[in-house]
Amino acid sequence: MSSIAKRNAAGKGALFKRMWDAKILYLILLPGLIHMIVFKLLPLFGLVIAFQDYSIFQGVLKSKWVGFEHFSAFVNDSYFWKLVRNTVLLAIFNLMFVFPIPIIFALFVNEVKNSPIKRFVQTLSFFPYFISSAVMVSILYKLLSPQGGLVNDVLNALGFDSVFFMAEPGWFRALYVGLNVWQLFGYNAIIYIAAMTSIDPHLYEAADLDGASRWQKIFRVTLPSIQTTIVVMFILAIGQILTVDLDKILLMYNPSIYDTADVIQSYVYRQAFSSEGFPNYSYGAAVGLMQSVIAFVLVIGANKISSRYSDSRLF
Amino acid sequence: MHRPSRLFDYVNHTFLILIALICVYPFVLIMSTSLSDGKEVVSGTIYLWPKGINFEAYKYILSNSRLGVASGLANSLFYTVVGGAIAVMVTFMTAYPLSRKRLVGRYVIMLVFMFTWVFEAGIIPNYIVYNALDLVNSRWVMILPMAVNTFLLIITKSFLDALPEELEEAAVIDGANDWQIMWRVFFPLSKPIIATISVFNAVFIWNQFLVPMIYLQERSLQPITVVLYNMIINSSKGGTSFENITVNGVQLLPQNLQAASIFLAVAPILLIYPFTQRFFTKGILIGSVKG
Repeated sequence: MSSIAKRNAAGKGALFKRMWDAKILYLILLPGLIHMIVFKLLPLFGLVIAFQDYSIFQGVLKSKWVGFEHFSAFVNDSYFWKLVRNTVLLAIFNLMFVFPIPIIFALFVNEVKNSPIKRFVQTLSFFPYFISSAVMVSILYKLLSPQGGLVNDVLNALGFDSVFFMAEPGWFRALYVGLNVWQLFGYNAIIYIAAMTSIDPHLYEAADLDGASRWQKIFRVTLPSIQTTIVVMFILAIGQILTVDLDKILLMYNPSIYDTADVIQSYVYRQAFSSEGFPNYSYGAAVGLMQSVIAFVLVIGANKISSRYSDSRLF
Repeated sequence: MHRPSRLFDYVNHTFLILIALICVYPFVLIMSTSLSDGKEVVSGTIYLWPKGINFEAYKYILSNSRLGVASGLANSLFYTVVGGAIAVMVTFMTAYPLSRKRLVGRYVIMLVFMFTWVFEAGIIPNYIVYNALDLVNSRWVMILPMAVNTFLLIITKSFLDALPEELEEAAVIDGANDWQIMWRVFFPLSKPIIATISVFNAVFIWNQFLVPMIYLQERSLQPITVVLYNMIINSSKGGTSFENITVNGVQLLPQNLQAASIFLAVAPILLIYPFTQRFFTKGILIGSVKG
């Protein structure tokens, strides 16, 4: 009994001594720790306003508690289903194109044995990733403008009428997804190209001996070899499916296309920052919290599945 | 046997080069428009190279402070350089202790970082905190919240994890303390990862749009991204509008001026891109292994 207590005390002392010995390390860590507390944990506590009628004058501590009122108000709002529909449809279309195109692109890049061409193609194709959405959407506006935009010039030359793309609800999803593909495909392909360079060359030699054609090698050797990478990336993409690019939506949408372009996050943004009346922080926070919880569950679930899958495959 | 394979190569190379060129074509078109005479732009004949080359559009937008392009660029540059430098320092100083195995509590701290990365509080709770910290209409809002990016923290930590521990033991025997070991032994060895996170932080801050949009209402503080939004996308809502101007015999259309502004927002990234491209690739590969 006493020996256990002694050992515990010794353990505690040892622990304290270990921490004391590392005191400079803790001091070095301090700025990052403060940053985490202030900018990452405090906002999480700020989420309590979702259960209040928060007023900026009364503050978080004195505002009235209302329980789940805002949540039920949102779910029963007639606009709720429209937002859910827009959010889910945009996410699905986005996944349908943004996910497979980098794989196809990587397969073709991998076939290039001439390395200057390979480098040239890769360098240009992932340049758009580093350009701000504000710039990308500005360029899109210029290209699609009904007054002197290149696309409408071409349409007119072919005898069609001008289309005001940015004001047509029917065009929003295609433009959003297209812009995402433009911005992301070269960058997302890097992982697949890296996976392909580590494929055992003997596999290709064996395929050559069997008289396989280029296409057969692509489909029978390259593609199966990167299967694990594809599956893992797909699961992770599912996990992040609800993470819309809010910057891009705010840049691209306007009231005339809310019908297709307004998603949960842009709606939250408007509740707080651009509604005509008094900003409705609590309601917006409640809606945002619902989305965060669903996104969190998806990410954690996807990561669980992906680690299980890649473990059983890799080891 | 050889011919179909060579045909495949020709078609494949042509196809890929074409795709690569399409990727950057809009940027070329913007540059050409900004350098062309407005008379050529209005006749719709600018497809690839500029016609009637002149720099009047650039002179005009940079010398007319009403447009905010010059101050937007200066602000973006300030946020990127100061914010980027602070972010690199703080990120490295956070990753280093967390990579030392003898640091009690490092798993818990890392877990909290990961949790807050995956579970986002959202823009409204952030606003309440930032507002309480007096970050609204303050330059600090572009610097302080960006000081630690969890993704970059993870790749920095995994880089440091992979360095041999014996390095530290040797320094301890020489009587160095943790502060000295970090700067004199590990920092110099971390140059590749420092370069990678510097580039990522810089691009991340340069491209910020939502944060300045929410917090920087004061025009003199706005970065170039918000200036562009007001000038090009939101111009109908009482933003900046242009009339047609003639300077030094060159006609300047709104198109010229907008194109010049867009190009100036891309120019810094274009300038550093050739030298830093390999660090981007490195970043995504490290991130994909660990993330």
